[in-house]
Amino acid sequence: MSENKIDYEKLGLKIGLEIHQQLETGKKLFCNCPSLLRKDEPDFIIKRKLHVVPGESGEVDVAARHEAEKTKEFIYEGYNTTCLVELDESPPYKINEKALKIALQIALLLNCKVLPISQIMRKTVIDGSNTSGFQRTVVIAENGWIDSSFGKVGIQSICLEEDAARIIEKKDKEVIYRLDRLGIPLIEISTMPDIKTPLQAKQVALKIGEILRNCEVKRGIGTIRQDINLSIKGGKRVEIKGFQDVRNIERAIKIEVKRQMDLVKKGKSVGEVRNVLPDGTTNFLRPLPGAARMYPETDLTLLKISRNFLDNVKKTLPALKSELKEELRKKGLHEELIKLILKKNKIEEIKSLSLLYHDLNLIAKMLVLWPEEIAKKSGKKVNEKLNIDVLETILQLIKKGKIFPWEVKEIMIEIAKGKTLKEIEKEKLKKEKIENINFIEEKILKIIKSKPGLSINAYMGLVMNEPELKGKISGKEAMEILKRLIK
Amino acid sequence: MKIKNIDVQPGDYIEVSLIKKDYRGTLLETPKDEKGIVLLKLDSGYDIGINKKDIFDIKVLKKAFEKKEEIEIKKSPQRPNIGMIITGGTIAARLNPKKGGVDWLTSPRDLFKFYPELFEKVNVVRLEVPFMKASEDMDFKDWKKIARTAAKLLNDSNIKGIIITHGTDFLHYTSAALSFFLKNLNKPVVLTYSQRSIDRASSDANLNLQCSALAAVSDIAEVMVVGHASMNDDYCYAMPGTKVRKLHTSRRDAFKVINAKPFAKIFPDKIEIISEYNIKKKGKIKLDDKFEEKVALIKIYPGQSPEILDFYLKNKYKGIILEMSGLGHVPVRARKSWIKKLKEVQKKGLIICATSQCIYGRVDPLVYSNGRELLGTGIIYLEDMLSETALVKLGWVLGHKEWAKNKEAVKEKMLENFAHELSERLDVGEVKT
Repeated sequence: MSENKIDYEKLGLKIGLEIHQQLETGKKLFCNCPSLLRKDEPDFIIKRKLHVVPGESGEVDVAARHEAEKTKEFIYEGYNTTCLVELDESPPYKINEKALKIALQIALLLNCKVLPISQIMRKTVIDGSNTSGFQRTVVIAENGWIDSSFGKVGIQSICLEEDAARIIEKKDKEVIYRLDRLGIPLIEISTMPDIKTPLQAKQVALKIGEILRNCEVKRGIGTIRQDINLSIKGGKRVEIKGFQDVRNIERAIKIEVKRQMDLVKKGKSVGEVRNVLPDGTTNFLRPLPGAARMYPETDLTLLKISRNFLDNVKKTLPALKSELKEELRKKGLHEELIKLILKKNKIEEIKSLSLLYHDLNLIAKMLVLWPEEIAKKSGKKVNEKLNIDVLETILQLIKKGKIFPWEVKEIMIEIAKGKTLKEIEKEKLKKEKIENINFIEEKILKIIKSKPGLSINAYMGLVMNEPELKGKISGKEAMEILKRLIK
Repeated sequence: MKIKNIDVQPGDYIEVSLIKKDYRGTLLETPKDEKGIVLLKLDSGYDIGINKKDIFDIKVLKKAFEKKEEIEIKKSPQRPNIGMIITGGTIAARLNPKKGGVDWLTSPRDLFKFYPELFEKVNVVRLEVPFMKASEDMDFKDWKKIARTAAKLLNDSNIKGIIITHGTDFLHYTSAALSFFLKNLNKPVVLTYSQRSIDRASSDANLNLQCSALAAVSDIAEVMVVGHASMNDDYCYAMPGTKVRKLHTSRRDAFKVINAKPFAKIFPDKIEIISEYNIKKKGKIKLDDKFEEKVALIKIYPGQSPEILDFYLKNKYKGIILEMSGLGHVPVRARKSWIKKLKEVQKKGLIICATSQCIYGRVDPLVYSNGRELLGTGIIYLEDMLSETALVKLGWVLGHKEWAKNKEAVKEKMLENFAHELSERLDVGEVKT
């Protein structure tokens, strides 16, 4: 059966995305350790064990039990940047305010309603990836939406949570984790199961990714992870984890849908968590967790988001690229330059420079076109020399009329060669003076030639009355030139 | 409780209507300091808060029901029998997520559910709950209650030893008190705790209880605190009740032995002996829990005025432990010298003893002239005794009328080694090589 022949609508395919993105906060979510992944060798290890704990109503969560059945010793590798919170040896500090701010920005950009009062929760995780045996998580907003070319997709919830420790090695009776990643602030975006085709899933993932990159988020491999929930008519919900590359999503969904069709036919579909492999196929990871694994973080008070805090977040809301494009287009910036500005992420720069001078096209060229050209020609790096302050000064000089817009590129080339703006200005003045004198002499010579044989005083009268020389020359200077030319 | 005139109980599944939106979830107990808020556990498992004044309707969809579960605790004749005393603290408190409040674990059933590993090692044949308290709320009357309960269990020939679970904050005061109160100790008395709440898979209670079980059925007839030796979950120390102190607010190895050594290193499956201890013996123990409440512990600080002693004298205190600087000093050649006042209050019968706020090491008044002058006023210097142990011991000594009536007897008893509270020699401790 070819892929194109699958009628996803008829199958009743429902897909929900869960996107996890690390935030760029400098510090961790519940302690002040740097949120840095380290490449050097760890400084110490701690050995721990985890025990299954009955959750609410005394039941042990199925997912928790599954993990615990493989009783293991956990080795945690720590650094001099690891603290007692990460070792589960101290209560958490207050939630990181910057992380909360970024998460709220994302929630607002996804049209969500912010929850004014929420409780930070402990989500039981006992595969050892959290030293405490749980992951701290808090729902901060819900009920949003995002547009896709196939229609609106609902955003179910936005949660702020701690990233887990990095797995280093899995042995028979022990698992080694590294603590540098544990506690890095992470935002979890869950869409409603509104997505109906694999292609739409990819599109929505890309769109959310674009919105995230407008905010202060970490970049690079491993900083964003996508999970997928999907089901077809007659089948159970399956969660697929571990996408690090959005391009894999479409293919993996297609493969899983086929697997589900087969299972449904046999009446064997089960709800479970699966892990995606690089080729798009998946394997069993663990049973689906229930709500029983969530209980309050009793060491912290209720999280209250005041109107004041939210208003401040709104004020600093980054504009989305699509909105920015429109804004720049309206101000008359050429399409190609808009693309370059967005691609090179010079939005802040063009905004601040546009306050000094009206011509956005000139500013855009100064920011994204010419520096590259100059660098290519000279084979040298120019970013340092042509920094924003220098560009600012150039624009101020244009405004004062000291230089002309058509001279800017030349000036930037000179600056790249190592000259300062002051030196360039001086040279320019000198040159202008010389040019000026040549022009006056030519004019006077013309007057003499047109009426030969007059007295020097008569020429003097003609020169001083010539409209093109008015204000450019004094009587004394005129007399000197005449004397020189008549001789 | 009533919300919008509707009777609802924590655990009820309800629908809350706000102007723009309805929420469904399980009603939780309202936190004491958040009276204006309704807490709701959503189906996703997350808890959110809603301001009561924003609610315009509430509906009960399903009443709460308590599931009664029967757990059978299997006893095995192969396993040794112990007794347990539960007194409160983190180790015996669990959050009830359904209601949002805290429940005490007081029945064998609860214990079994949370600590199955303990029951694989021993049979808990007697379980006593004299009270449930945070340790910072305890005083000498509670120590007496625990001691009496312990004595009862220790004199039961069916029991090999006892485990007492306790809050950590003032655990070392209780352990010191029991060390003096339980005379002629015949069996192990193990106090244990947890620093991480037991709802989390990482709780330190598991290892502490497993090791406590081993200690309780060992031949170490001592009052000891058993808890994590380090931040690793590999073994515990059994620490003398009079030589132990809480030295960290949150780490699982919060308790350290000061100026002595642990009795033993205890793994979940074996004991490695470290230092000398009293061996288990036949015979009944004798309760000796007389206690004088009017004792105090004062920490000395720079520039402190001695007039604070007038307060204690006026309020009929009988004895004071001064936790002094260094080798045992208070301001002498300072603007506010203590010498005159110390002479005066001791003359009026107040017992003054000296310990050091250095925590490690022993006091010695002979090294400096200030010390010699202080010694001259009649202060009893308590060697390497911990301040907390000293306070408990002073109350215990002064509780005995026959000793309390003369100062020489008090001094003699304070310097007599009853329960390892004084070390004959001080080990060098950890040496870096």
